[in-house]
Amino acid sequence: MNPTIEINKSVDVITKFCVNGTVNSRVVPCKMLFGGREIVFTKLGMLHPTGKGKKMIHVFDVSDENNDYRLEFDAERLSWTLMAIVPGGSDG
Amino acid sequence: MANKFIYQPKSKQNPYQLNTERPQIMWIDLNSAFATAEQQAHPTLRGKPMGVTNRLSKECCVIAASYEAKALGIKVGCRRSEALELCPEFIMLETDPPKYHSVYKKLFNIMKDYSPDVKMKSIDEGIIDFHGTDSMRKGRSLQDIGAEIKSRVLTEIGDYTKINIGIAPNRFLAKTAAGLNKPDGLDTIDYKNLIDVYKTLELQDLNGIADGYGSRLRANNIFTTIDFLNASDDFLKKRVFRSINGLYWHRRLRGYEIDDSDTNLGMVGRQWVVKNPSNDQDYLRSCLHFLTETTGMKLRYRNVEARGVCVWLQFNNGEFFKDKRTYKTSVYSNQDIWLRVTRLFDNRPKHLVVRTIGLYLYNLEASQRNQVSLFDEDKKADFLTKAIDEINDFYGTFTVYSADTLEGTKHVKQKIPFGGTEYFNLLLKKA
Repeated sequence: MNPTIEINKSVDVITKFCVNGTVNSRVVPCKMLFGGREIVFTKLGMLHPTGKGKKMIHVFDVSDENNDYRLEFDAERLSWTLMAIVPGGSDG
Repeated sequence: MANKFIYQPKSKQNPYQLNTERPQIMWIDLNSAFATAEQQAHPTLRGKPMGVTNRLSKECCVIAASYEAKALGIKVGCRRSEALELCPEFIMLETDPPKYHSVYKKLFNIMKDYSPDVKMKSIDEGIIDFHGTDSMRKGRSLQDIGAEIKSRVLTEIGDYTKINIGIAPNRFLAKTAAGLNKPDGLDTIDYKNLIDVYKTLELQDLNGIADGYGSRLRANNIFTTIDFLNASDDFLKKRVFRSINGLYWHRRLRGYEIDDSDTNLGMVGRQWVVKNPSNDQDYLRSCLHFLTETTGMKLRYRNVEARGVCVWLQFNNGEFFKDKRTYKTSVYSNQDIWLRVTRLFDNRPKHLVVRTIGLYLYNLEASQRNQVSLFDEDKKADFLTKAIDEINDFYGTFTVYSADTLEGTKHVKQKIPFGGTEYFNLLLKKA
């Protein structure tokens, strides 16, 4: 029904900063180390900011073509958190 | 802009007295907005039947369905069990307001680049009024601008996000045009093709004509949109609608603007389908208190006060309870609202199990709180309310709240405000 798997764990992320990108492609997470595996992102689905109290959080919804990942960047603590995974093969 | 109360002269070329003004209204509609936003964010969900709900539960409702789900007959309002019967692979996600707000904001920013007169009608649709922007447009047609907006939406919002655009002389026809070729249409309706478009539409395809008006029209021998167009203003006013609405419809159908006025705020309120239907006094009171506090926030957000308070309940056995009262003095603070709400709530039949709980405040008037009261008690209450609002504004909604609502905050979830976008910023503070 709801395929989302909550993770909520800090992760290492390699990010690309582009000079000429649009708002949607100026900052793009490229790789993440999670569970001893290196996951390479191939698509940025959506980027949007949100507030948690007075903190600014940037939410990156990315995909490696198999699964979708919700990554959050805490602009105050400068840390990345993998919030959730939506498995690609999920059908309900 | 053409005067809305003057018709074009009747002639052989224009027997229906249609508005021959150049179309200057653009209606932009992001269809299945929440579902599309989720599919935009989750590439693996694209092309799959999926929907969005406020709170996942056994019998939750679909509040937005993807095109793939709609093709299978899963529509807005469809229950989870019904959706799964139609499609066992149906995927349901919970709403994510910041995501939708981001889409809304980006769409609004794109629209603002083309005219100073932009109005969002709801989270997923808005209007650009191009009157007086000829010099800005430098000879470009609205169709050309529409195509550019579509292309910008793909780049600036996302490659999976498609919009419908309708261009017409008035809002009603522009919305109709936006609905002609979903999900990626760009259509224009003007006096030249208006009759042809009406011929393709059923009476209840017209925006604003649902079952009520539909039956009323049919009862007066108006069965098609062309019959509707043929009806005289007098007949519509005196026989069909029996009000000024008949005249408005007569003009609206012909492309004259009638819907460009703002509506007054009549009431603010909230309702909630009780998570676990119950007649437990403490549980219900706490949830109602939570609803009262969020209603109070809305009230102050709109800078109004209320004299009328209404509490209503729907019970599991189908019965309904409603109690309302109008006071001489207005309320503004959470404490005062709760005091009045709780009095009405105590009048309910206490043995019945409550399924839905709601309250609204009415008889609204502009807030007078910038005038300092002569009475110390009032001053203290005002300062307290202001201080709590400021803390919650800075640190996020429900940083400081009444202890009595503790149970309610666990159960009641803030909903996506349909219709108006007035409370979106308020909602996001909680998100």
